[in-house]
Amino acid sequence: MALSPFLESVFTWCLAGFFIAGGLSVYRMMIGPKAGDRAVAFDTLATVFIGIICVLCMMWNSTYYFDAVWILTLVGFLGTATMARYLERGRVF
Amino acid sequence: MPPIHELFIAGALIAGTFLMLVASIGLIRFPDVFCRIHAAGKAGTMGISLVIVSSMIFFGFAEPSIIVRGVLAIFFQFLTTPAATHLLARASYITDYPLTDRTAVDELHQFMLSKPDEMYGQE
Repeated sequence: MALSPFLESVFTWCLAGFFIAGGLSVYRMMIGPKAGDRAVAFDTLATVFIGIICVLCMMWNSTYYFDAVWILTLVGFLGTATMARYLERGRVF
Repeated sequence: MPPIHELFIAGALIAGTFLMLVASIGLIRFPDVFCRIHAAGKAGTMGISLVIVSSMIFFGFAEPSIIVRGVLAIFFQFLTTPAATHLLARASYITDYPLTDRTAVDELHQFMLSKPDEMYGQE
């Protein structure tokens, strides 16, 4: 099943939008004054990766990578929660 | 695929991408970490849910198992993002992240002890 030209262009533009969002997150991760800002930017970057995976699945018309979506959700939460705990108490465990 | 489905797919995807862009712009523009958490938590969750819904419409007719995975992904997203942003905001407040000058009300301040060690005790 080939994509229609309308959906093809929509996917391309949305991919561009996601890359811009990822670039802005990376910029905040670079300049963030403290570690909290960098952790928020990492959380947003993980979300942007999920969106890019969804759009690429639709562009390539395959569902092989779709499991990465919810796995990446959980891994991103684990990273953010660990970072917050470390910032709060000075140690993780 | 009928044109009406394509319209729904494109609408959900464009709305989701717009919300993700709003979240990232808020991450850049807002003055302190609590405002940034506010932007990234809410707009990011809604945006990614709309993107997952659009791919559920795209694949759902040909491969119904994608519905389960998509619902699972949205469920985990709604479950984990509030917890993560709450933990981050709490950690930032406890470690004395300076609030922006335009903060009007800080109701949490009177309940805070001076040091994190006193809150948790010497473990």
